[in-house]
Amino acid sequence: MPNQPTRATLQSASEQAAAALAAMPLRPEVVSCPLCSRQFLTYSELSEHYAADHADSVAPAAITLNVNGKTCELIIEPYLTLKQVLQFHLGLIGAKEMCDRGACGSCTVIINGKPALSCNLLAAECEGKSIETVEGIAVNPRWRPLIDQYCKWDAMQCGYCTPGFLVSAKALLDRNPTPTEYEINDALSGNICICGTQPRHSQAILEAVKLMAAEVSENG
Amino acid sequence: MADLLGANGTREKFRVVGKPNIPGLTSYALATGVAKFGADYIAPDMLFAKILRSPYAHARVLNVDFSEALKIPGVVDVIFWTDPIFKGIAPNPIGGAAGDYLRNEAHHEGAEVAAVVVAESEGLCDEALNALKVDWEQLPFIVDIEKGSDPALPAIRGPEYDESGTYGPPMTTADGIAWMATHYPDDPRKQGNVGWSTKTEGDMEAGWKAADFTLEYDVNLHDVVSLLPNPQASVAWWTENAYKSGETLRIEGAVGRRGAVATMYGLPNDNVIQEGVFQGGKYCDWGLRMAQEITPLLSKKLGRPVRCCNTREENFDMCVNERRAHVKLGVTNEGLITAVDDSSLIDHGAPNSSEMTVYDRDWNGYYTLKCENITQLYTVVDSNRGFMHTCGQFVPYSWDMITVGLYLIAEKFGKDPTEIARLNLHGPDSQRDLNLVPSFEKCLEEGKKEMNWNWHAAGTKRLPDGRLHGASFRYQMCPRHAFLSYFTKLEYRGGVVHFPTQGPVAGWFGTECFTMIAAEELGLNFEDIVVDYDYRAEHTDEAGGSDGVTGHGWIVKECANLLKKRILEAVIADTLVTTSRFGPMEFPKAPSPFAGYSAEDLDLMNGCVIVKAKPEISVPLAQACTATVTADYGGNSPKSAWATQFGRKLDTMNTSWCEVAVDIETGEVEILKYLVVADVGKVIRRTSLESQIDQVVFFSQGAQLLEEYILDPATGVKLNANMLDYRRPTTLDVPLVSKDILETRAGDGAYGASGISHNLANSHLIITAIHNATGVWVDPPATPDRMIAALAKGGKL
Repeated sequence: MPNQPTRATLQSASEQAAAALAAMPLRPEVVSCPLCSRQFLTYSELSEHYAADHADSVAPAAITLNVNGKTCELIIEPYLTLKQVLQFHLGLIGAKEMCDRGACGSCTVIINGKPALSCNLLAAECEGKSIETVEGIAVNPRWRPLIDQYCKWDAMQCGYCTPGFLVSAKALLDRNPTPTEYEINDALSGNICICGTQPRHSQAILEAVKLMAAEVSENG
Repeated sequence: MADLLGANGTREKFRVVGKPNIPGLTSYALATGVAKFGADYIAPDMLFAKILRSPYAHARVLNVDFSEALKIPGVVDVIFWTDPIFKGIAPNPIGGAAGDYLRNEAHHEGAEVAAVVVAESEGLCDEALNALKVDWEQLPFIVDIEKGSDPALPAIRGPEYDESGTYGPPMTTADGIAWMATHYPDDPRKQGNVGWSTKTEGDMEAGWKAADFTLEYDVNLHDVVSLLPNPQASVAWWTENAYKSGETLRIEGAVGRRGAVATMYGLPNDNVIQEGVFQGGKYCDWGLRMAQEITPLLSKKLGRPVRCCNTREENFDMCVNERRAHVKLGVTNEGLITAVDDSSLIDHGAPNSSEMTVYDRDWNGYYTLKCENITQLYTVVDSNRGFMHTCGQFVPYSWDMITVGLYLIAEKFGKDPTEIARLNLHGPDSQRDLNLVPSFEKCLEEGKKEMNWNWHAAGTKRLPDGRLHGASFRYQMCPRHAFLSYFTKLEYRGGVVHFPTQGPVAGWFGTECFTMIAAEELGLNFEDIVVDYDYRAEHTDEAGGSDGVTGHGWIVKECANLLKKRILEAVIADTLVTTSRFGPMEFPKAPSPFAGYSAEDLDLMNGCVIVKAKPEISVPLAQACTATVTADYGGNSPKSAWATQFGRKLDTMNTSWCEVAVDIETGEVEILKYLVVADVGKVIRRTSLESQIDQVVFFSQGAQLLEEYILDPATGVKLNANMLDYRRPTTLDVPLVSKDILETRAGDGAYGASGISHNLANSHLIITAIHNATGVWVDPPATPDRMIAALAKGGKL
C-alpha cells in the first residue's frame, strides 16, 4: 500500500493494460452457481443443478468470446451485457458505464471492426465476433501516438469517458487514417463528455494522425 | 510567512511553469482505461445492493411485504428502515442527513427510501425490488415553486427535516436561528414551506432619488442537472489493518471523502482505507450519494463485501436549482446604476439540499458595481423537485442579473454595453474605488479586437444568409478560493523529491500545477519529482479548480523553498558527497566541493547543487545530499482579498463575448463565435486553463440552448432523467471557442497567478445575444420550439 500509480507513463499504463489482458481467464476457474454460490466441476453439473434446484430461473449459458485476440470460455447469465461480462467475468474495466442505454459512448468497444456500445449488447450475442477493447488498443504500439497526443493535449479532464472516446477514435482511424476535423467530430459525436473536453479530441487526433503518418513514412 | 526568495511576481525566467503539453500525471492511466473508479472495483465473494426508490414526488412507506422477494434464489436479504443498523449513524459532514440513516419518507421521485435489497448480482437486486409489495402513502408535493410560495399552504415536511442543509446554515434549528439572527437580523421566520432571506445595504431611498429612471426586468434561471459522469458507487468490506489496531473499513468509491466516511462510522481516519484516487467529475457537486455510504453498514451486517452502484437515473440530481429573479434598477441618464432591488424566488429542493443559494448573496455581480445601495429579498420554497448537493455552480448564475441589466441599459441608450460596464464597474479595492481594474481594460481591448466588435442595436443586423445576427458581452471577476487555508508537505529522500498527495484526481490537473511549481523552485524538471498518491497524505487537491490551484500553488511554492533551504543546509553539513549518480547508496564518497561555503552561497539548478558565484562548481543533487529532509507549509496565500469581503475586492478578471445567428423560420440558434479573454495572472499549465474555459463554455451552451429538467406537474415525476432526453452538447454541437489568455501577474497566487474562474459559466450570455439578434427574450434553454414561441409572442414572425 498504496497501490496507486505514482505517475502513469505510456509504458506503465500499457503494462497495466497488458497485465489485465494476461489476467483474463481462458475458462472459469470454478463453476459456481450465480444464485446460491454452490460450486461444480463442469457446466453440465451446473445445468443439472439448475434443473433440480432453480427450475424457475434462467440457466447460465456457456459461451466463447474472442476479446483482444484471446479466446475465453465463459459461463454467464444470458441476460448479462457485454459491458458487465467484460468487467465482472474478464476483469476488464476500460469500457465504462455511464448512461447504460447507448446514449453516451463511454462503454464503446470495437466489434468486427466497427464501434459498438457494450452496455447495449448481450454478451451472448457476441459469440464468434472479434471484440477489441481499449486495453487491446493500449498494448498495441501502433496506437501509442494516439494515446500520447490524448495525454499531451488534455483530451480528458476527469477521464471517465476518455477510453470510450479513444476507442471511437481508433475505429475512425482504422477506416479513415486521414480524417478532417469535421469527420472526427462526426465520428465522436456519440461520445458524451460532461467535463466539456469536446474541442480537444479533434486537436489530439489530428496531431496523432500527423505522427502516425510520419511513422509510416519512416518505416517505408 | 513572506516569500522566501522573492520569487513571486518578480520572477522572469521559467523553466517548468508555463511549459506546454506536459501530460497529466495520471492521463495515461485514464486514457488506457486502467484507472479504477468506484464502480470498477470488485471484491472477492462480493454481494450487490440496491436501494428502493420512490416512484412518487412525496410519499411515505407504510409497509413492505418482502416475502416474494426473499423467495428469489440468490436474494440474500431485504433490510428495512427500522433495522438497528440504520440507527445512530452520524451524518457525514458533507451533505449528510441528520437523524436515522434510512427513513420511510421520500421527498422527491427517485429518492432512496425504506428498504435495501442485497443479492448475488445486480440483476437479482432488480428482481427483488420488483417483487417487493410496497404500501405507499402519497403525500402532497410541490414541484412548481411559484405555486408553492404561498405561506398558507400546509408544510410538505415535518420539523425533523429542517435540519442543516448541505453547506449552509439551517433555517429552523436553534443553532441555525441564532446564526441567521446574527447575520440576517431582519429575516422573517419560516412559514409553511417558505423561508425568507433579506439583505439591504446602503441607503435605498437615496439610491432611488439619485436615479433618473427605473428599469425592471425578470431573469428566469432554470435548474440544471449535475450529471456526474461516473456512476456513484462504492464497494466496502471490513478488514484487518496492517498498521493500526481496531476495526478497519476498506471502502472504494467514496473518493476524497475518507474523512467523511470515518466520521459516519465513528472510526479514526487511519482505520478507513481507501486506495482509489479517481473521483470522476464533480463540478462542485461534492455530496456523497447513499450508494457511496451505505455499503459499510451492509457489509458489517452480512459479513461479505458489498457493492452498491447508482444508475444514471439514480444520479439525476440538480447542480443548480431554479431561481426566478425580478430586478429593479435605479439608473441615471448617464447609465450609472444607483440602486438595485432583487426579489428572487428560489427552489430550496428536497431536505438537506445545499443552501448556498440562500445566503451566498455577496458573491454575486451586484457587488462589482459602484452602486452601494443594494437590497435583496430571497423567497425560498421547500419543494419536491429534487436534491441539490453541495454546489458552487450556482455562483455563475448569480451574475446573470447584472449581465442582463447592463445590456438593457445599453439598449435603452443605444450605447455599446462595454461602455455601460466601464461606467458602472468599481475598482479593485472597494466599491468606492473609482479606478478600474487594470486588466478590465486589457481584456476589453483584446476582446474587441478579436471579435471585430461593432455593436448594433437589437434586431438591426441580418447576415447574408438572411439569419439575424446578435452579439453580447459580459465581464466577470472571480471570487477566488485563495481565502482557503492549504497544506503541503514535500520530502527529499533517497536523492529524490517526493510529493505525497491523497489526490483526488477529478480533472483540474491541480497536482500537475503544484508539481510544476515545486520543480521550478527546486531547480528540477517536472519529471524529477515523484508524486506519491497515498490516501494517508495530508495534502489534497480539492480546492476549487484552477482558482484553488493558484491559492494552493503559493503554499507549494513556499514549501518548496523551505525544502530547498533545508536541502542546501544538509549539503553544507555533509563534508562528503557520494560518487553514485543514484544517490545515497553504498558507493565511495569524496570530499564535498562545497566545504567552506554557506547554504546561502548555494543554489539548485538543473538538478544540481551549484555555488551561485561559481556555477562551474556543480554536483548532482542526489550525490550532493544524502540526507532525508522534509518541509511542510500551511496557511493562506498573501492578501487573500476575498477572505475579508466577498465580492468587494476584485482581482481576477475576464470578459466573455458571444455572437449568434438566429433563423426565425426554424427557431434555430447557432453560436458563431464564443470568445473568452481571461487574465489568469500567470499561466502555470496552459492546457489546464484552456480546458477550464472549454468546460464553462460547454456548461453555458448546454444550460442556455439544450438542457431542461422536466417534471410532470400533475405527478411530480421526472420525465427526462436520462442522457437521451436530457441533452448535452456533443462534438458536433460545441462552438468554436476562442481563448485569449493574458498574464498581468496581478493575482495573489504563485507568480501572480489568479487562475480561471468557474464564474465564467453564464447562462445568459447566449440568451442576451439572442435578444440582440431578435429583440425578444427567451427563457433558457432556447430550443427551437421556445424560440418560435418567443418570436411569435414578440410579434417577430
